[in-house]
Formats: sequence, structure tokens, C-alpha cells
Amino acid sequence: MFRKTLALAAFASVSLAGCSAAPAAVENSPTTTETATEQPLAEKSSITVYSGRKEKLVQSVIDQFTTETGITVEVRYAKSAEMAAQLLEEGDNSPADVFFSQDAGALGAVAKAGMLIELPSEIMGLVPTEYSAADGKWVGVSGRARVIVYDPDKVSEVPTSVFDLANAEWQGRIGIAPANASFQAFVTAMRILHGEEKTLEWLKAMKTNAVMYPKNSAILKAVENKTVDAGLINHYYWFAMSREIGVENMTSKLGYFKSKDVGNLINSAGVGILSDSNAARSFVEYLLSKTGQQYFVGETSEYPLIPGVVAGVELTPMDQIPAPEIDLSDLDSLEETLDMIREAGLI
Amino acid sequence: MRKPPKVIVVIGVSATLLAVLPIAYLGLRLFEGFDRALAELLRFRTLELLGNTGLLVLAVSASALLVGFSQAWLTTRSTVKFASSFAVLAALPLAIPSYVMALGYISLFPTFSGFFASWLVLTLATSPYVFLGVTAALVRVDTATEEVARTLGFGRFQVLRRITWPQVRPAATASVLLVALYVLSEFGAIALLRYDTFTRAIYNAYRGSFDRTSAAALALVLLLITLLVIWFERRYRGIYLANTKALGKRVRVDLGSWSWAATAGLTLVAVFSVGIPMFSLLVWSVQGSANLDMPMLLDALWGSVRLAGLAGVIIGVFATAIALWAVRYRTRLGAWVETASWATHAIPAVVVGLALVFFGANVTPWIYQTTWMLMIAYLILFLPNALAAISTPIAQVSKDLEDVSQSLGVPANRTLFKVVLPIAFPGIIAGVALVALTVLKELPATLLLRPTETNTLATRLWGATEDLAYSQAAPYALLLVIIAGLPALALNAQARKALSEVRG
Repeated sequence: MFRKTLALAAFASVSLAGCSAAPAAVENSPTTTETATEQPLAEKSSITVYSGRKEKLVQSVIDQFTTETGITVEVRYAKSAEMAAQLLEEGDNSPADVFFSQDAGALGAVAKAGMLIELPSEIMGLVPTEYSAADGKWVGVSGRARVIVYDPDKVSEVPTSVFDLANAEWQGRIGIAPANASFQAFVTAMRILHGEEKTLEWLKAMKTNAVMYPKNSAILKAVENKTVDAGLINHYYWFAMSREIGVENMTSKLGYFKSKDVGNLINSAGVGILSDSNAARSFVEYLLSKTGQQYFVGETSEYPLIPGVVAGVELTPMDQIPAPEIDLSDLDSLEETLDMIREAGLI
Repeated sequence: MRKPPKVIVVIGVSATLLAVLPIAYLGLRLFEGFDRALAELLRFRTLELLGNTGLLVLAVSASALLVGFSQAWLTTRSTVKFASSFAVLAALPLAIPSYVMALGYISLFPTFSGFFASWLVLTLATSPYVFLGVTAALVRVDTATEEVARTLGFGRFQVLRRITWPQVRPAATASVLLVALYVLSEFGAIALLRYDTFTRAIYNAYRGSFDRTSAAALALVLLLITLLVIWFERRYRGIYLANTKALGKRVRVDLGSWSWAATAGLTLVAVFSVGIPMFSLLVWSVQGSANLDMPMLLDALWGSVRLAGLAGVIIGVFATAIALWAVRYRTRLGAWVETASWATHAIPAVVVGLALVFFGANVTPWIYQTTWMLMIAYLILFLPNALAAISTPIAQVSKDLEDVSQSLGVPANRTLFKVVLPIAFPGIIAGVALVALTVLKELPATLLLRPTETNTLATRLWGATEDLAYSQAAPYALLLVIIAGLPALALNAQARKALSEVRG
């Protein structure tokens, strides 16, 4: 009896706490949504950034930003999807000012929960519309293309479509990385553009045809070593390796499928603002400045998204890639994709 | 009945409330999203997870029992050579966190994954628990009965099966249930080895679905299974009456021509459980030492030490208060508080971490992502460990001394602080140290709740491993084994006792 009472008391205190927290959350919300109106922006000398991009990759550009502006930045690093889940759970209480994501899907999920402010047109205008959110909730920072890397000795012609890789002639010849987030984003795009059934069929064919690797760079190495004939990777891994061993020593080549094939998906890393301030805006503007863009081009061989910044000379210009047309914000149904990849037995 | 000092009551009751809050919050959250949670649980996938988890728990329990029991019997009851060295080797895997062991394997064999991999790594990581439990029981087995059985014409194996085994069975069962709980709550190794059990699915649902209801639903199922296992363990423990009488010299069974096979078997297990993972970590550390970011390593080391030290002190204070209450005052509320903190024992850290993210972000945002939130998580997770370690030294302080002190007119509370605590102090400090070392190895709750810009050896190791940057991860892993694993093993009272008894 005594135990029961205590347990009840504990539960009651939880529900009470829950109730008292709820109205506070409602009161807070207008401050985050009224940013479109011309109110003076909050002045902050320090912002918190949730980064789905790796520390090794972005910390130095963030340090540069701090040196140039005097704004200190606290960064929390995790995978983009984890960051998105955490942001969704935190809701209006999130300590984050800015979400810098590795891919568009995670940004889409946070945007759909109404947590991102609409970015001002002077920021959105910097980047071509197809690489940002259609509703202006996040802006693309750098682009990356899905490509097929192949061994020209074994593959004379790049197949017309990524769906051709399901044919029997490709058995045991193609490398994929089903646990990799970029591969998963590509599968999500396939689900959206071609439907669940066709995608599952393709994945099941991959179970027979493909050799599984833990990550993109392992696929590239396997193609270079002639272990497999071709593989599906992001374009910049090839350039990273060519910088390391010299472009003349690369035996593999990059290719694209034809006519807006989903296999050529261009995804962007992007950034959205949760809590508006001058500091948060200048952080985003810095990433989209020439210095910021040049940093990503030099460091990662990703595509810059503002005009006037030159991509690496060897890169196929982004507007010449026959990429599929898709609203990148829609790439947020990761769980369904994971279920399907699992159902096909790839992970 | 004497009343405990107010400060003890406050500390004890608040520890209980803290322990219950996140779990209650999880339930509340599910209640809100009941339809979605139900839909999540009625998917075929839940059944699949149940099957996967059950299979792994059963397989690891069986193999850990076989390995641990063989090690214990061979080192304590047979004439196998180097018995005491093999006993140390059998306990040594306790110093290697299971995710570090998994890292050791996958960095050598990149395709090492799935059921078999998880089964192997977890068997190696958990058989020391069986080894320690069974060793303690074996040294107390009455060997006279065995000798009588031998003279009556029983074979060696028959003696083992019909005389020895029934006597150690309760200890073995208790250890195996401990193994089962370990496997149920294991996160790091299983995530690295990519086998779908509840813990991995919970974490993936949390980070992959953008829908936290399904994670909460799965967490609740795991919680129920865990409680079921704990209930089972308690029932069994009730039957088990430890035979504590000291016995004369043990008779060791001459293995004869089987001796070489026994040596080979013990060596093989040691190679797999200690040799391969440590070899792998050393090779990768050497390889990674050239690119080792020293400030980053030191920063993580400092983060680890700071958090673990603070947690040790806080948990130590809580555990001391509760142990005093339960042991020296014996009030009903005190007993209840002690039971409640035990009840949260073995709740998977992933569940506690997740519940506190839910709870912290929505109800107590002012401490969310601060060190304090993490301390609450550690308190929930490790209070039972601390209670186990701290209750004994407190119970051992002679009641007579207290009576003498009081008969001399010293007030009860003053006696507590002037007599009881000073005498129990060394034991309490050892308990605190053990808890701090356990905190150093904690991964999932730290990952979810750590303050922004705080890194620990465990989180750095995890990040590097997820990126498959093994040479970067290995120095962190090695450091973790050296500064956390080995000292913890040395402080572990059960291990010390078992090892000294093998020699005796």
C-alpha cells in the first residue's frame, strides 16, 4: 500500500511538471516565429551550432569565422540525423541557434516541425534555388553528386540508368555502401521518384549483384585495386584520393548516368537558423561568402554553390550533370528507407 | 526505532525520485502518443527484434556459462598447469569495455559483423562474470562427497555432473542471469557489430526516424524484458543459500592425458578474449601515433577524469547516505529507498539516456546539456554499484562502538559522523573509486547527454570508430583500458577474492 502511494506520488509530480512546462513553451514560441517582420534582431556575441558535419572538416572554418567577427561559436557534433532527432526532441527549448547539416533530409525534418525560421531573401538569393529548401527554411552550402566510379578496363560504357545495375550482367561487379548516409539519401530519392515497389526490387537485385562495403572510400579503393569493376560513391572521394596519390596514378574514372537519372542525385549540405540573431545570420553568410565557399572547395572538393567561386578544375560543372529534379527537403523519410534496405537484406 | 538524520532522508528520497522520474516520463510520453506507439509495436519488426535479442541473450548465456564454468573448474579443481596465471587471464577481459573489444575485432577483420560476431565478442566479455561467480562457489564445494562418489565407482565426469554441478548451480545461475542482463542492455559492441537487437533499434529509431515515439515504445519493451529477467534473478537468488563454511585443503582432480587439451582450451580463450583485441589496439595505436592529435587526446582525458571524478563524489555521497539509512537505521522507508534504487539497476543506459533527453529538454531545460544532467544519468545508472560497494564497509563497523559512544553521552548523529563514517571511510573511498572508474567507460548516456563541447575518451573513441578511423580510435581505447579497466579490475573485491582463492 505504502509503495503504491509513493509510486503514485512520483507519477503525479511528473504529470504536474509536464503541465507546468507546457504553457511556458507556448509563450515562448512567438519570439521564434515573428522573424519575418522587421523587428530589430537580437544581438548575440556567442551562438550554438549543432553540426552534422564532421569536426575535422568544419572546425577550422568556424575558428576563422570567430577570428574575423569576434563571435564565439559553441559546436555540438554528431551525425546529421542524430542532431535532427535531438533538435526535434528539444523543440522550442533547444539551445541551438544554427543547424549545419551534412544532408538535406535532416534539415527537411527539422523544417517540417516548424523549427527553422524563414531565411531572408538576401541569404536565399545567394544560392540557386534547386540546392536550397523551396520554402526558404534552409540554404544549401555545398553540393555533392552521386556518381558511378568505374574501371575503364572492365567497363567500356557507363550504363544508361542506375536501374541497369540490377541486370544479371552486373552480378558481383558493383560496390555499394548500404550503411552510408549518402547512399541512403539516394535510396530515399529513388523511393520518392520511382515508388516503393520499384525501389525494393532494385535493392533486392543489389543483394545479388553488389559487393557491400562499409563506406565510400572503401568502394573507391576496391575499384582502384580491381576488386570490383564499378561502385556508387559521392564525387569528392575520387578527388580526395587523387590529391593523395596523384591524379596520374588513378586508374578509375567517374561517370554519370543519362537523362536526369536518380543515380546522379545532387544533394546539398545546408544550414538553417533556429533562433534568429545577427550573429546567426552572419555565421550563415560567412559559410556562403567567397572565403567560406573556397574553404569547402579546397578542403573537400565539394561543389561551391555561389557564382564566382570556381570548383576544382577537374570537376564536371554541376549544371552539366544530368541530375534528377527533386525537392531536397523531401529526403526526410529516412526510417522507411532504412526499413527497406533492411528488408532487402543489405544491412 | 531511531530516526535517521534529516539530511540522509532528503538525499535518499531525492535519489529515488530522480531514478523513477525519467522512466515515468517515458511512460507518460507513450501514453500521449499511444496509437503511434501501438502501431510501432505491432509491426513485424518488433517480433524480429524480440527474436534477435532473445537468440543473442540465450546463445551468449549458454556459451558464457560453458566458458566461465570450464575456466573456473579447471583453475580451481584440476591439476592444469599455470592455474593461477590462467585465472588472471580469465578475469582480465573485465578490464576491456565490450565496445573496445568489438573495436579490436572489426579493425582487424572489417567484415566482422552480425550475429556470430556479437555472440563471440559478448561471450568473451561476459564469461569472466561466470568465472568469478562459479570460482567463489567451487572453492566451497565439499570435496569429501566427491571422494566418496569416486570410491563408489563414479567416473570423473559423473562426479562433476552429479556431485559438483548441483552444488555450484545456484551461483552459476545467478552469474548467467547477470550475463543475460548485460547482453540485454549492451549497446556499443552491438552497434559496432551491426546486429539488430532492441538497444540498437532504439538508438536507430531515435536518430533515424525523426519520430521519438517509436524509440520510446521500443525502450519500454526492453524495460519490461529487463524487469522480467531481474524478477527471475531475484526468485532464483532467494533459493540460493551461500555455504560460507571454510573447508580444508581442496583436492585437485588429475587431468592425466587431458591436461594438454585443457591447457590448449584455456590458452585459446585467452588469445581470443585478451590477445587478439589487445594486439589489434596496440598495432593500430602504433600506426595512429604519428597522426595523434595530442591536445585533443588530453582534452578528452581531462573531460573523462573530470566527469568521472565528480560523478564518483556525488554518487558516493548518495550511496553512503542510503547505505547508512538502510544498514544502521533499518526503517521501512529506508529499506524501500534501497530497493527502489536497486530496481533501476540494469535499466539499459540507452533507455536512461533517451528518457533524460526527453525529460531534460522538455521539463528541466535549465539543466539540459549541462554536467548536472549527465550526473543525474550516472546517478541512476551507477547508484546500485556504489551501494553494493559501500554497504559492506558501513555494515562492518561494530555496533558496540556506536553503543559505547552513545553511552558516553554523544548524540546519535554526532556518533554517526565521529565514529561510524571515519571507520568506514577507507571502504567508502574504494567504492567511490570503483564507481568513478565505471563511469569512465560509460558510453550511450554520455553520448546523448554530454554538454556541448565536452568530450570524453569514450565519445572520441566512438566518433572515430563510427567513421571507421581505427588508427585514430585505438589510442583512446588503449588509454581507456589502462586508466579505467585495469584499476577497476584491481579494485573489484569479487575478482580479488576469486583470484586469491585459486592460488590458495
